[in-house]
Amino acid sequence: MINFIQSILYGLTIGGILYIISIGLSLTFGAMGIVNFAHGLIYAVGAYALYSVATLLGANFLVGALAAVAVSIPLAYLIERFIIRRLYGQSIDYAIIATYAVLLIGADALKWFFGASPLPISDPVGELWYFGGLQMPAFRVIIIALSVLVFLGLSLFFKKTLVGKIVVAGLQDREAVRSLGIKVERYFAIVFVIGSALAALGGVLYAPLSTLDPYMGFEIIILCFAVVIVGGMGNLRGTAIAAFTLGMVHSLTAAYLVSSAADAMVYVVMAVVLIFRPIDAPA
Amino acid sequence: MLLSVDNLDVRYGHAQVLHDVSMHLNQGELVCVVGRNGAGKTTLLKTIGGFMKPAAGSVNFQGKRIDGQPLEQVALSGLKYVYQDKRVFGELTVRENIELAAYPSHESLDQAIAKVVAIHPKMQKLLDAKAKGLSGGERQILLIGRALIGDPKLLLIDEPTEGLAAIIIGEIINILAAMKSKITMVVVEQNLATVSRLADRVYVMKEGVFSREITDPEIIANPAAYEDEL
Repeated sequence: MINFIQSILYGLTIGGILYIISIGLSLTFGAMGIVNFAHGLIYAVGAYALYSVATLLGANFLVGALAAVAVSIPLAYLIERFIIRRLYGQSIDYAIIATYAVLLIGADALKWFFGASPLPISDPVGELWYFGGLQMPAFRVIIIALSVLVFLGLSLFFKKTLVGKIVVAGLQDREAVRSLGIKVERYFAIVFVIGSALAALGGVLYAPLSTLDPYMGFEIIILCFAVVIVGGMGNLRGTAIAAFTLGMVHSLTAAYLVSSAADAMVYVVMAVVLIFRPIDAPA
Repeated sequence: MLLSVDNLDVRYGHAQVLHDVSMHLNQGELVCVVGRNGAGKTTLLKTIGGFMKPAAGSVNFQGKRIDGQPLEQVALSGLKYVYQDKRVFGELTVRENIELAAYPSHESLDQAIAKVVAIHPKMQKLLDAKAKGLSGGERQILLIGRALIGDPKLLLIDEPTEGLAAIIIGEIINILAAMKSKITMVVVEQNLATVSRLADRVYVMKEGVFSREITDPEIIANPAAYEDEL
């Protein structure tokens, strides 16, 4: 039983990271109709920025994390301004090709700078916390708490701020928002940058649990698309539920079935949802 | 002249929907466009409102050409559109729907709410309700009220009574009648009884062209005189 609960908690960790990364992807998909593979690059850049500042320059983890988020903002702005904005209203095929190209170019650039070998980042807390018979790395508990904070923060942002309300309205009916005289794309761009900063944060949080490699963005982006598809494009609550559920599926599969099948099981769940969700169900 | 539409051709792909349509609108008028489903009424309204670009012809509003301008720009120039399908922002409250309309016009939220409540006091009680829970009539009142925020010069209203109960239709007609002296309107409407109560002039549209313009108040007041032409 303890092992099971522990697996659930590990699943919440993965789910939390998936949520933090996926939310930007979901909003870009839902609001702008853009399939943004470049999101995976921002995630990888976040992890490598952390490595550069915390490991190569010797600063502490928190400074590295802040640097990662700070680096992601101008990068996201450039991607939105010069690539994504040109894809509004275009065929989804163009978005896939253009953003996948950005991911490929970025991954090769990371390989050029940092090499192809996997790079480790140590657990910044390095402690185990005990809850009854359970033991849990403190860093994983922090990840779960942080993902809950991000969820609450975003919920407040979308409920209480004008920018958030414009985006919520735009997710439902972009044309109607424009017909009020609001340039809705500007607000989508703000949300794009916020979502990208969160992707970089996801890279920061995942780096100590795994190793860095230049192509890490490719793996995560497919998992995140599964989250977005299960949770619904642009559906904030659905994305959170899907991320934590798929995180637990991932963790339980690794613990009780075959470790190497954990990713595959996520796609099986996605396929089942697609098969049984009514065609006219809200996204 | 507030609005001038000249020789408008509009296409959906290869299908031409409007053929050489021209109309004009003077300040303070309420003009109704009538016609059967598919005649091109909504297409005309959407083209004037900046939702669609014409293949040929022009739309001039307050002396400036607006066809081809971005939708936001057309709205900010003082031309607001009330949707046929009662498209409110369902996930937002009524108050938030009003807040969004007030934002680009730099009108205070209190002023904007007062405008919506002024057209129907019932809206005061619904301010904190999610818009998706409103009835069809309440949605229509919200949409009309929302369009009045920012003091537009022209309202384009598409089928305001469609799908509403008879008692609500009466309320909507009363609201539009009360607005008549304050704002210029183009109303697309199939219900000729509504048209006869509201219109200063009527354009009859058939298969993408205006087949008749009716200016005589006595004829407008007697729908039987032109219902066969639809």
